[in-house]
Amino acid sequence: MPKSKFIFTTLMLLLVLAVLAICDLCFGSTNLFSIETSNPMFSSILYDIRLPKTLTSIIAGSGLALCGLLMQSLFRNPLAGPYVLGVSSGSSLFVAIATMMISSIHVSGFFIMGKSIVTLFSIMGAFFVTLIILLISKKNKSNVTVLLVGLMLGQILSAFQGLIEYMSNADNLKTFVMWGMGSVGSTTLQDLYFVIPIYAITIVAGFFLIKPLNAILLNEQYAQNLGVNVNALRLSVIIISAVLVGVITAFCGPIAFVGISVPIASRLFFKTSHHLHQMTFCLLLGACVVLTADVICQVFSSQFMLPINTVTTLIGSPIVIYLLFKSKLNIG
Amino acid sequence: MIEITNLEIGYKSKGKHNSVFKGINLTLNACDLVGLIGDNGIGKSTLLKSMTGNLVPLAGEIKINNTPSSKFTAQQLAQLLSIVVTEKIGGFNLTVWDVVATGRTPYINIFGKLSTEDETIVTKALEQLNLLPLKDKLIDELSDGQRQKVMIAKSLAQQTPIIVLDEPTAFLDHTSKHQLFSILKKLCAEKGKLIIVSSHDLELMKPYINRSVTMAENNSLEVK
Repeated sequence: MPKSKFIFTTLMLLLVLAVLAICDLCFGSTNLFSIETSNPMFSSILYDIRLPKTLTSIIAGSGLALCGLLMQSLFRNPLAGPYVLGVSSGSSLFVAIATMMISSIHVSGFFIMGKSIVTLFSIMGAFFVTLIILLISKKNKSNVTVLLVGLMLGQILSAFQGLIEYMSNADNLKTFVMWGMGSVGSTTLQDLYFVIPIYAITIVAGFFLIKPLNAILLNEQYAQNLGVNVNALRLSVIIISAVLVGVITAFCGPIAFVGISVPIASRLFFKTSHHLHQMTFCLLLGACVVLTADVICQVFSSQFMLPINTVTTLIGSPIVIYLLFKSKLNIG
Repeated sequence: MIEITNLEIGYKSKGKHNSVFKGINLTLNACDLVGLIGDNGIGKSTLLKSMTGNLVPLAGEIKINNTPSSKFTAQQLAQLLSIVVTEKIGGFNLTVWDVVATGRTPYINIFGKLSTEDETIVTKALEQLNLLPLKDKLIDELSDGQRQKVMIAKSLAQQTPIIVLDEPTAFLDHTSKHQLFSILKKLCAEKGKLIIVSSHDLELMKPYINRSVTMAENNSLEVK
């Protein structure tokens, strides 16, 4: 892709992102325009509720899209992604375990004191599943097998999660079910002081993988022959994906389909394989998708609360189905 | 250029050595177009993988330009030796230009940005194989013969003195096979490269190669 086209596309996406961010700040159960700016309620709603929500949407969307891109490139499989490969399920299961643990040691309200434990468990869950998938992909080169194993693993982990839910008390179950629907609205500004540095470090680390990721698109043997340390690349992708998916899942719940559909859409819209371009576009497009989903949720918020997971799935699934039919992208 | 002494090739699995072929002694020089011949499963690919550093030899030594290949970093080896393998590549919006440009990976910065000089080298590699008109085409849209030419152009962009091709004619029709060997012969003669091609079809290679290495049962190796 020519440099001028890349800059133009990036600026356009930034513009769309800015518009969506403003919409997301404006929409909500309370009409912000009906409150005077001098009213303390205005700044309270804007800074304590809307701004953290908008920033969380941007972080969740861009982070998950980047993870999807990294996984799809590493596995050379456009159907790879944190949700499909069971990485999000791994996070969810470990969050369920953490929730039970926090409950059992009588720490009240896991959304307050237990968040760091939950985040740590969430990262561990994501790391655990990514590692298993990677070991399987090393043993079995078939993309279809890796994908099916990922799906099966996701099912197994979900079954264990169901078991934990069945055994947990009513309060924990309610908290966990609400969390499982996905929400960008439960993050506070204080949480973001913790999340933003982790997000920034992993995103920057991702950009340092551009060269080896470009090479691995050929295949592992070619990449190795081009001087790429394939094992180091694998480990880097595992760590970045596990940390990003873990943190995002801990704070927002398992958000579906952003990780798989955004990189696919990005490749479809922007005909480039270069990871500098694809990473930039995925980050911006991912943020736009989750912001759009949240705006849609907010528009209906006066009538009923739509879980963000439902909206991202409704946006993401048709894209994947469309691409499965169209596909010039090699799948098997 | 390549000196192989008492080489044993194979795979290590759970601490066990599964030997595929042993007792390989071989010296290959610049401008050689070497045909590596043998039946399927005899160990041609294993030997090539051992040469390219994709596989660690079980015993013996491979020297490139008088230095043991194990002493080279991955980056240094990538500037000495390039490969073309049987496996087809594609998808992910990979264009002909993108694939050939990956040949510059050992030379470019961490963000994968090509300098003007790198772009000139990629353009020249495409020109040499008459691929310039196809540079913006997706790899998936090319014929098998064109794909093989693209991979050879990638090797040229990699600017290595040694090129290793593993069964490059596997998916090609009769005409494309001969076209491919004509290109390889020309590269050896004009660029002074050492090119090693594995195949089980000696008759096809005979008119083009100037050296042959035949691998047979019971670790029998015939070098001509």
